[in-house]
Amino acid sequence: MDNERLVETFVELADTLIDDFDMIDFLHVLIDRSVELLDIDAAGLLLADQNGQLQVIASSNEHVRLLELFQLQSDDGPCLEAYGTGHTVCHGNLATANARWPRFAPAAVAAGFGAVDALPMRLRDQVIGALNLFRRQPGPLTDTVLRTAQALVDVATIGLLQERAIRHQEVLTEQLQAALNSRVVIEQAKGLIAERLGIDMEGAFTALRGYARSNNLKLSDVAGKVIAGRTATGDLLGHD
Amino acid sequence: MAMVGSRSTRRARVWLWVAELAGAAGVPVSVASLCDTAMTRLEVDGVTLSVDTSAGWPETRYATGALGECLAELQVTVGEGPSTEVRRRGAPILVGDLDTTNSQRRWPMFAPLAVEAGAHALFTLPLAVGVIRVGALSLHRVAAGQLAPAALADALIFAELALGLLLDEQAGLPVGATETGEAPTLLTPQVHQATGMIAAQLDVPLAHAFARLRARAFADCRPLAELATAVVARRVRFDPDDETL
Repeated sequence: MDNERLVETFVELADTLIDDFDMIDFLHVLIDRSVELLDIDAAGLLLADQNGQLQVIASSNEHVRLLELFQLQSDDGPCLEAYGTGHTVCHGNLATANARWPRFAPAAVAAGFGAVDALPMRLRDQVIGALNLFRRQPGPLTDTVLRTAQALVDVATIGLLQERAIRHQEVLTEQLQAALNSRVVIEQAKGLIAERLGIDMEGAFTALRGYARSNNLKLSDVAGKVIAGRTATGDLLGHD
Repeated sequence: MAMVGSRSTRRARVWLWVAELAGAAGVPVSVASLCDTAMTRLEVDGVTLSVDTSAGWPETRYATGALGECLAELQVTVGEGPSTEVRRRGAPILVGDLDTTNSQRRWPMFAPLAVEAGAHALFTLPLAVGVIRVGALSLHRVAAGQLAPAALADALIFAELALGLLLDEQAGLPVGATETGEAPTLLTPQVHQATGMIAAQLDVPLAHAFARLRARAFADCRPLAELATAVVARRVRFDPDDETL
């Protein structure tokens, strides 16, 4: 594990009291660094809205997103369990998990994943969401990796709740609603890009994200610009 | 502990409130009955619905009282206020007290004028679907104080329902026709992706594409999410020359 990068990541996740804090980008940092540092293949993150309903906010690729959605809709899966119980849920061999998660397990296996870990985003008795880590190869995560993952999640959770503790519940609501709307903008842009460039949604997302990174822009800002025609769809290609 | 299904229960309950009020008055569900219901149920002193216009500033579509209308006009006149900001950010702005240094720093012209007019608390919720900006729902109170968590959750539902009614109008559908109050709104990612695709297929703005998608789903008696999935899977296309809509 790259320690310097790990430290960098912790610092970034702790720094949420900035003027232009963007929840989507923040959670994408958590997701992307988790994939990079923890020797996993994909990650997805869900946050609970005002009604305790989990909403997909970020995922490392389109496949995982589909799975998160699947989990929500079918009411079974490790993420829901982790959120509901406040405890980490691990399964090292999804091929044998059909009894536990009759809908999620087969779908995860079909998507190419052999193992999953779900960590609740929790501060004392408050659970605000969950982080799902996916691996293609079955087998358990090492203790070190699991502890590191937990630390990343804890720092991110505290980061999200910092403003709330200092200010009010309303801030979290405003942030969450902004993130949900940004999510919609990203989906709308994906559709537009996919149609114009004749590619699929995963390709469209990759193009969007690549362009955002190369130009140091927020994902949702690029999405908005593409829709408004201020960034040409063609410009998105060639950035990986 | 996750409360699965609580959101759909809450939504059903709020929709029932609106339907009951309209029913008691012997009128169909409308933006007006929704605002009137919200005022009573959320225990606020006024509810105002504004819609975005091509002129570039919002127009008050319905206000339960004069103060709400006044607050809306003030924001247009001075060119600042939560109304403009929620539209830009696509997120609510919940101000428990307009009479604080914070509020006055944020809206140096609007905040003192609003307080003078008699409003201390102002909660503005955008009515939007991604880049499709339709309008805003504003709730105000004479007394300062934030909305209680349950009221806030209900307020967000009222905003969703109001958005649905306005979208029905835009799509040329009977107002309230697509709302059952049951399942959480079927705005799946595929619906948004399909909207983007249709906008490219027809070379129209997203709002127009969304209206076409909803209208087609209604005309074909097909759930919106299902039609959207078909569009994303490229089994259904929208053709500029299509005259059925």
